Amino acid sequence: MTMISTVGGVQVGIATTSTVSGRGFTPEELAEHAVNEVISIGNNSHPVIQAQAEAFKEDIRAVVTNYLRQAVASHNTTLTNRFTDAGHPELVKLLEV
Amino acid sequence: MAISITTAMPTSFKVELMKGLHNFTGASNRFKMALFKATASGSGTFGAATTNYSQMGSDELPTATGYTQQGKLLTSVTPTADGTTAITTFSALTWTSSSFTTSGALIYDTGDSNSACAVLSFGGDQTVSSGDFQIQFPSAAAASAIIRIA
Repeated sequence: MTMISTVGGVQVGIATTSTVSGRGFTPEELAEHAVNEVISIGNNSHPVIQAQAEAFKEDIRAVVTNYLRQAVASHNTTLTNRFTDAGHPELVKLLEV
Repeated sequence: MAISITTAMPTSFKVELMKGLHNFTGASNRFKMALFKATASGSGTFGAATTNYSQMGSDELPTATGYTQQGKLLTSVTPTADGTTAITTFSALTWTSSSFTTSGALIYDTGDSNSACAVLSFGGDQTVSSGDFQIQFPSAAAASAIIRIA
């Protein structure tokens, strides 16, 4: 008698949580989350491939961090204009880091 | 009693997949994530036997301080294959300017009468105070994706 079966399964992965209190996430923190989501390096990969992947991950992290910083700065420009247009230029000081 | 959450794929979801009731393509825009209260603040048991968002009941965080009941809409990534495994995931989700404590989450499908798709335990209470709370999903790969069929 021949038995035919398939092996597999429907599985759920592991989501992670991050919290910051008294402030929002920094560009560096969000960049870390982004590269971890985009680039996954398997433990069983060849060491040379792992090293290349880690180097690539660092490059991507730097680029994403830079653009996120620019996004924050650019948004602050928008907020500066809104505060000023609304007659509250003194609030602009709150945006200075 | 306390809330008991076990990370699991609801059995009902597996059946519903075979019935073709869930559409994870990016444009479907129908999946939501709702958050449970802190462990000691409720009494329900959630896991593989959870079938619907309605079962969260009073164990869902109340609408206040950054959280709105029924949770937030997830942005799904159109399913793909990684080797012989079918995978799908969602974009990271953030609750901003929030103050709450949560112990887990439920992903459910508003396009299928709020049926449960995944129960996620955070491994304990997670607290945010006047800050941001973010859920990150694992990378979309055969060994890690949040929802996968091997």
